[in-house]
Amino acid sequence: MPRPAADILLSILVLVLQTTVVRFLAIQGIVPDIVLLWVITIAVRRGQIPATIAGFLLGLALDLISGPDGVLGLTALTKTVGGFLAGYFYNENKVLQTMGGYQILLITALITLIHNLLYFFVFLQGSGLGWAAMMALYGIPATAYTTAIAVLPMFAYARKVLA
Amino acid sequence: MVKRLYDIVLLFKEYVVVSFCLLVSILLLALNDTPQIRVLRSYAVVGVGLLQNAVSFLPNYFSLSQENAALRTMNLALADEVSRLREGKLENLRLRQMLELKQRGEHRYIAANVIGKNLQLLRNTITLDAGEQEGVRVSMPIVSESGLVGKIISTSGHYAIGQILLNRDLRVSAKVQRSRVDGVVRWDGGTTLQLREVARTMDVQQGDLVVTSEYSAYYPEGTRIGVVSRAEPIPGSLFLSVEVAPSVDFTRLEEVFVLVHQPDSARIALEHRSR
Repeated sequence: MPRPAADILLSILVLVLQTTVVRFLAIQGIVPDIVLLWVITIAVRRGQIPATIAGFLLGLALDLISGPDGVLGLTALTKTVGGFLAGYFYNENKVLQTMGGYQILLITALITLIHNLLYFFVFLQGSGLGWAAMMALYGIPATAYTTAIAVLPMFAYARKVLA
Repeated sequence: MVKRLYDIVLLFKEYVVVSFCLLVSILLLALNDTPQIRVLRSYAVVGVGLLQNAVSFLPNYFSLSQENAALRTMNLALADEVSRLREGKLENLRLRQMLELKQRGEHRYIAANVIGKNLQLLRNTITLDAGEQEGVRVSMPIVSESGLVGKIISTSGHYAIGQILLNRDLRVSAKVQRSRVDGVVRWDGGTTLQLREVARTMDVQQGDLVVTSEYSAYYPEGTRIGVVSRAEPIPGSLFLSVEVAPSVDFTRLEEVFVLVHQPDSARIALEHRSR
């Protein structure tokens, strides 16, 4: 199967998983963001432009799916930023090393933290929560959870299953 | 030239892509009317207000003598009008006592300068340099010496945004002062306002004054809106097409008053319940 088609199919699968299965993994209301994890994977494997576009389109799809409960455009904005920033870690010659090593965990932690800072800064406006409380209650736990899930693709790449 | 532009775009293609995606996202965010976006808008109002306030004094120095002359003329006209209104009020009081009509409460006015406005959009607004600290609240009517300007839709500490009559989202319950015919004033994007919901058998003529109606929970009744500039039956319809020239010249609007007139929440709640 051509690479772009496989990526599109995987993107749809990730979107479906995020909106159906992943919510059952919630701990105290915090769920891992596998869509962002997938955008970071695209960034490390394919580069900045595909990751930016994927982040925007997947974020927009999540915004549309969330309906009146969400803020239209917010997920598209934050995932675009996430994809763009993650793209700075793209190195054509070190894809396997980055994906299969501890680097992917560091990249995921950093990008997810920035993503969550931006997301919760907007989403919790008017809730009365300050910066510290916002990060302590939502930002850092969500970042830790998503980073923990990033161990799965890391091991998979380390064993060259996905390579 | 085109090739050079293309080369530049190609050179910065990552930034072009991310800018486009961010622009679309922000435009989508701006379409929301959630509490989160309202809070962000109030931050934006503060930022833009500070900026506009910093530069708004500049043109005033150049047109000071002209402005003084205009103010003197207006002062003279207003003094004359106040004198006539006092006579009218006394007469009104006598008549009200005779008819045992309920006396309406006096309103307090908050003076504000227009420090920003847009008139080219379909949802036009003005930015005022008075906000919650001065007592301005959402839904308060905005008036000028010429008549109704609009209503407040967003506030911050020292700034507020008002929806003006030239805004597609604004509806004002109105009536023709002479014939007491009711209707709803709205703007469809032209140079005039429209008085809607007027049956073709109603008595509406060119030159009639249109004022706010007592049916409105948001605006005090009798506030001048405009003058009927055209009234003719809509072919194949039971309604009249009534065009109203607004009393307020929005292009020259510089100072306004926010009327401390909070909507009667009990009345609105009752009306909502009965729908």
